[in-house]
Amino acid sequence: MDSPILQAKNLTKIYGQNVIFQDISLDVNRGETIVVIGPSGTGKSTLLRCINLLTPINSGQIFLNGKEITAPEASEDKVRQQVGMVFQNFLLFNHLTALDNVMIGLSKVKKLPKAQAREKALYELNRVGLSDRADHYPGQLSGGQQQRVGIARALAMDPSVMLFDEPTSALDPELIGEVLGVMEILAREHMTMLVVTHEMGFAREVANRIVFMEKGSIVEQGSPNDLFYHPQHERTREFLWKITELYGKKDEEE
Amino acid sequence: MKRLYFWFALIAVFGLVLAACGGAGGNTHLDKVKQAGLIKVGTSADYPPFEYVDENGNKAGFDIELMEEIAKQLGVKVEWVDMPFDSLIAGVQEGKLDASISAFNYTEERDQVVDFSIAYYDGEDAFAVSEGFSGTLAQPEDVVAYKVGVQNGTTQDGWLTELVEQGLLPEANLSRYDRADQAALDLKNGRIEVMLADAIPMKALVQQLGGLKIAYEGVVSSGPINVVLPNGDTELTQAVNDIIKKLQAEGFVDALAIKHFGQ
Amino acid sequence: MLANFFLYIVQGISITIGVTLVALPAGLLLGLGFALINTYGGPWLKRLSAAYSLLMRGVPPIVLLFILYFILSGNVVNLTPFWAGSIALGIISSAYQMEILRGALLSIGGGQMTAARAVGMTRLQSIQHIILPQALRIAIPPWSNEASIVLKDSSLVYALGVPEVLRRAQQLSATTQQPMLAFGAAALIYFVLVFLVNRGLDALAEKTKLPTQTA
Repeated sequence: MDSPILQAKNLTKIYGQNVIFQDISLDVNRGETIVVIGPSGTGKSTLLRCINLLTPINSGQIFLNGKEITAPEASEDKVRQQVGMVFQNFLLFNHLTALDNVMIGLSKVKKLPKAQAREKALYELNRVGLSDRADHYPGQLSGGQQQRVGIARALAMDPSVMLFDEPTSALDPELIGEVLGVMEILAREHMTMLVVTHEMGFAREVANRIVFMEKGSIVEQGSPNDLFYHPQHERTREFLWKITELYGKKDEEE
Repeated sequence: MKRLYFWFALIAVFGLVLAACGGAGGNTHLDKVKQAGLIKVGTSADYPPFEYVDENGNKAGFDIELMEEIAKQLGVKVEWVDMPFDSLIAGVQEGKLDASISAFNYTEERDQVVDFSIAYYDGEDAFAVSEGFSGTLAQPEDVVAYKVGVQNGTTQDGWLTELVEQGLLPEANLSRYDRADQAALDLKNGRIEVMLADAIPMKALVQQLGGLKIAYEGVVSSGPINVVLPNGDTELTQAVNDIIKKLQAEGFVDALAIKHFGQ
Repeated sequence: MLANFFLYIVQGISITIGVTLVALPAGLLLGLGFALINTYGGPWLKRLSAAYSLLMRGVPPIVLLFILYFILSGNVVNLTPFWAGSIALGIISSAYQMEILRGALLSIGGGQMTAARAVGMTRLQSIQHIILPQALRIAIPPWSNEASIVLKDSSLVYALGVPEVLRRAQQLSATTQQPMLAFGAAALIYFVLVFLVNRGLDALAEKTKLPTQTA
């Protein structure tokens, strides 16, 4: 196994008086799908935003493809071309069609010629199952469709890593499935993914590794099997119990 | 002696350079006007019969025709700049206008910032009242008993303001207007009781509006009217004065007065 | 004879329109610049632009017009009353336009900027391609209001000697002693102009509206 595609070393983030997380380290291997779970407000989303440099860290280092992206001479914009992000609130560009949303990174950032950008964008839209909605505007799409366009938009840049920040939390229940379905396909295609979510079913079925975060630190991490059936820490056990209660004891019906 | 020659030479060279830069001819304001073939004259064309706009949208009036003749004699054309009356002095002062003609009276205050030509006409003031007016205006100072209106920035305004400053006329009884016709309308509808203005335009307004009459006519604040010229501009002022004298001698001015004032 | 009079006032329309056509775009350029500085600039730039807005909106337009006019037609820069007055009105309008555009920019929300940066766009690209197109759409209705105001305020240049509609109405009133007719005509003209401008901008807003779900 070659070195991890993404390495976070001793990351600390402080907002004013609050320590969001302290001294966190995490390795992500190529092709892995890592799901981060934990109570709300424990810094999971902040961690993701620090990884693609949207939020600056107070101390620590992050390496992508072996290069340190937190180095002062690193170009943030260039780094973000290699890290795709999917947001809880989709954040599609409202004045652009689905196709243009996916295309704009290719033409303005990667400076591809229009025809080439278009072709690639259509390919990605097709990949998420929305090629027939290419000229629809976000206002004309359902939540699930918007999120899938968001995924296509991130994929179009051919990133090394895809970050998912609670991608289904803002969706109506019946729309969650279509988004998780796309994510599952990506995982099977060995896309490197770091996913923050409450969807335990997805975590169990699709994740290679689950990371449990609480109060700003990583309590435990391991394969879904290990974490769900043999949690090492009491807090892990407690959290999983609460969550499966909420989700209706799914893993007891195995 | 050598010193003198030196300075003389320096000034001569300087003058030559200036002349070269400024084109042919000299460099006084008058010269510039003649070179341009144009004289920018400010007026407030809302004061018949001195200056106003006729039914074809053209400027007309005593001052208008007189100034056009003066310009003709200077060998230039007039570029009329119409502005509110109380902006005209500032316009000449700031150099935006070459001259201004708008039934101006001489005042010391104005003289501090602009120059005046010799008088081209002599006029009196008049008080106008509504026909049903029952008060007394035997002499100008009687006006302090009434509500009076006047055009802003005129010598009549100055005269009335003095009465206010002396405590003779209550401040609240003096109304100032941007234009003479505004004051006349207020006189007609009773908002003011008396109006003071130059006699000739006052009579014209009285005649046009109806329901008004002249209560008193005589020299109150005004008297001769002059062309306003830039401060210290002796060449232009001299030239204008010469032409005015000439036109008066020829009877041109009188004829113009009969045409516009009927007298 | 009255027809000639009306024609005289109507001839002022081209000047009124001319003044507006200089002042509005000038105000837009300046206002947009200040709005961007205020929304995205550092603390000193924010303070500077906020002070500019406060100052320009805190003084009656006619007062500012005279002050700016004397600066713009003084010895350093010497513009005709038309240009000096129009540009001055543009500067005055820029403060109000800055507030309109600032509001529009802020209402777009940080999420759009975040998403744009996440795709690798620079700040400038994000503003140019993502924020501005959306903000300008939102700004159209309040901007339409400002456009009407500038058009009506164009009458202020009469004080500088620019022969637009209001001044002509004044002259007509002085000559004919028919103020109702003269100023009524002026009022009608302004009303029609403002009406047309508003209608035009309404149509623009409709045309650039983003489609939403129909059902």
